[in-house]
Amino acid sequence: MSKVLEASRAGALSAPAHRPFRFGRLGAFMERESVFSWLMLTPPMLFLLAFLGYPFIYGVYLSFFHKEVARAASFVGFGNFVKLYNDPIFWQAVRNTIIFTGVATILKASGGLAMALVMNQSFKMKSVTRAALLLPFIVPTVLSTVAWQWILDPGMGLFNRLLVVSGLATTGPSWLGNPTMAMISIIMVNTWRGLPFFGISILAGLQTIPVDLHESATIDGAGTWGRFRYVTLPSLMPVILIVTTFSIVITFFDFQLVYVLTGGGPANSTHLMATYAYSLSMGAGQMGLGSAVALSMVPVLGLLLVALTFFVRKD
Amino acid sequence: MAKPAPSKATRRDFLKYAAAGAAGVAAGPWVSRNAQAKPVSITFARESAYVKNFDDHFQKVMAPAYEKATGIKIEYQIQAAGGSAPVQLVSMVENKSGADLAWVQQEWLYRDALVDVSDIAEAVGKEQGGWYDEIKRLSIDKGKWKSVPMGNIGQLMVYRKDWFDEVGVKKFPETWDEFLEAGIKLKAKGHPFGMSMGHGFADNYSWLYPLLWSYGVTVMDKDGKKVALDTNETAKAVDFVRKLYKEACIEDCVGWLDPANNKAFLTSQISCTNNAYSIMVSAKRDLPEMGKVIEHGLNPKGPNGQRYHALVQVTHGVFAYSKDPQAAKDFLRWIMDPKQFRPWIASGDMYFAPYLHGFDKAPEWDIEPRVKPFQKVLETGKLTSWPAPANRQHGEVVNRWIVIDMFTKACTGTPTKAAIAEAVGQLKTIYG
Repeated sequence: MSKVLEASRAGALSAPAHRPFRFGRLGAFMERESVFSWLMLTPPMLFLLAFLGYPFIYGVYLSFFHKEVARAASFVGFGNFVKLYNDPIFWQAVRNTIIFTGVATILKASGGLAMALVMNQSFKMKSVTRAALLLPFIVPTVLSTVAWQWILDPGMGLFNRLLVVSGLATTGPSWLGNPTMAMISIIMVNTWRGLPFFGISILAGLQTIPVDLHESATIDGAGTWGRFRYVTLPSLMPVILIVTTFSIVITFFDFQLVYVLTGGGPANSTHLMATYAYSLSMGAGQMGLGSAVALSMVPVLGLLLVALTFFVRKD
Repeated sequence: MAKPAPSKATRRDFLKYAAAGAAGVAAGPWVSRNAQAKPVSITFARESAYVKNFDDHFQKVMAPAYEKATGIKIEYQIQAAGGSAPVQLVSMVENKSGADLAWVQQEWLYRDALVDVSDIAEAVGKEQGGWYDEIKRLSIDKGKWKSVPMGNIGQLMVYRKDWFDEVGVKKFPETWDEFLEAGIKLKAKGHPFGMSMGHGFADNYSWLYPLLWSYGVTVMDKDGKKVALDTNETAKAVDFVRKLYKEACIEDCVGWLDPANNKAFLTSQISCTNNAYSIMVSAKRDLPEMGKVIEHGLNPKGPNGQRYHALVQVTHGVFAYSKDPQAAKDFLRWIMDPKQFRPWIASGDMYFAPYLHGFDKAPEWDIEPRVKPFQKVLETGKLTSWPAPANRQHGEVVNRWIVIDMFTKACTGTPTKAAIAEAVGQLKTIYG
């Protein structure tokens, strides 16, 4: 046995090898897990405070003031909210936001589930197809929305050309000119854009379901629908719920898509709360009123976050 | 084979060299005047012009000339065209940073952040034939000029002469009824009108407000105290627009944003729209065959026998928060000096028509006969607030599309009375 090994067994070498590197008291302080975690969290927290916290607090402040561009603010209490309560366009924007968010989320969740089930199968070009399906999600919103403007053009857009060429119609619909069609169009574009987020997330969930669960169900006599109903869907529910909650938040605050496609028109039929807040504050210069619209969205966001936290904890 | 659009290189070159020479000489007095404590640079924010030469002339001729003469560098901040400039200006004003002076297309929004420029405006008016009266109602607030008017982006009926000829309409309609009649014929031939009514800027109000006025209706009374929209004439105007939309227009024009009518016209989907002459500029450049058959017509007359146009005004204001407002004012005075201003305006082929009578007979109006009708816009042009003051409430009405949506709602199914009542309710809330 070597001298080194002997020394090691005797414990002579072990102490220096296992002793952590210390800077005296500071080192000990740093070793406390909570302190270290907080130190690591500080930069992003400061970032969030500066870029989200301050604007949010300023927005709350503004919503209680009559504030016009280039003018001093004067306190009006709940005056802006009373004004909004009596504003038919505000209520139209609320209604539109709920319809837009609800329908688009249902479409994205169901479509995403279907997409994930297909993507979970084995077929040729599977990886290429998966990558292609992610495309809507990675193209910047403004760019893809401008492309959609062209696609939805009634005279020379792709959709109507396809309808005419295939003989299904002599002229296609006015996608953005008719109030009902305009709402359908913005929901369609939002769904197109958000579908991959659902698809990929649910696909990840699908791949965590143990194969033997399906095998057991098959042995017990379950068919394709039975396995989906009693094995796949219950296993996926946590993922679906989380992704849906995220999606509701994102869809609720969607702004770019509607701003670029319709500007809230025709006749406010596609005005969402986000676009209305923007047009009031940045267009009409009514910063206080615009902030009040934005703040009206917060309780909904709060409820959604509570729901999200609840589901995550339950999972 | 299509002939290319005639080149203006020689004229432009001449203007460029003449302006550069003149600019150097003209800046002389500024050197001595600002010998002490000159700022290093001045930031000038403007929305990008549709006529590229206009921006080029400023950047290549004027800014270097000013820098050479005064040592002050001009930072020319070009903002994206199509409605984003006001948003950037709101941000600048609220943050008190960004530009020393800017084009302020909706002056009423920023008026309180601008310094008094009466000395410049009065001197410019005196020197260049006097200001058009209507623009004074915008730039003069409580007896002081808060911005110096720069020019009007004229809006007229832009139409395809060849298609109008095809249906036997040899002369552009004089009245709205004749306009509708022509539109019905053209739509039957597959060439509908495309009259913007969406949430864009200018292309919508530049025909809807004049139409309303020509029916003898104004939105507010002269003092801006009483809503004047709730009349039988308004109902007639709304009914007319609904009929025009159903029988003569392309369906999606009620949802159009700013560039949509340019796109529809240039892709041969529509035969007529209300626009600046940017459509003709693009066609002459990219679609020379179409460029030959585009004409401009004045807005038709209404039942009251009058013809109106809406001003799309551009003014220049100096921000009070600027580190050196006096230096920015000196620069503004310099660009409005005829030695700089006239070649600058000429470089844009009168896309920006100055509100100065000194330009009424300017030779630049004769460069392209099809541009000349835009001069008439100045003669019959009104601010959208007319006859009420152009103030913040009026700005809110315009920027929230209250009047535009009244027409759009009627076109998309709301009964006339309900559409008017909703607009009147909004107006009363805004004006208090």
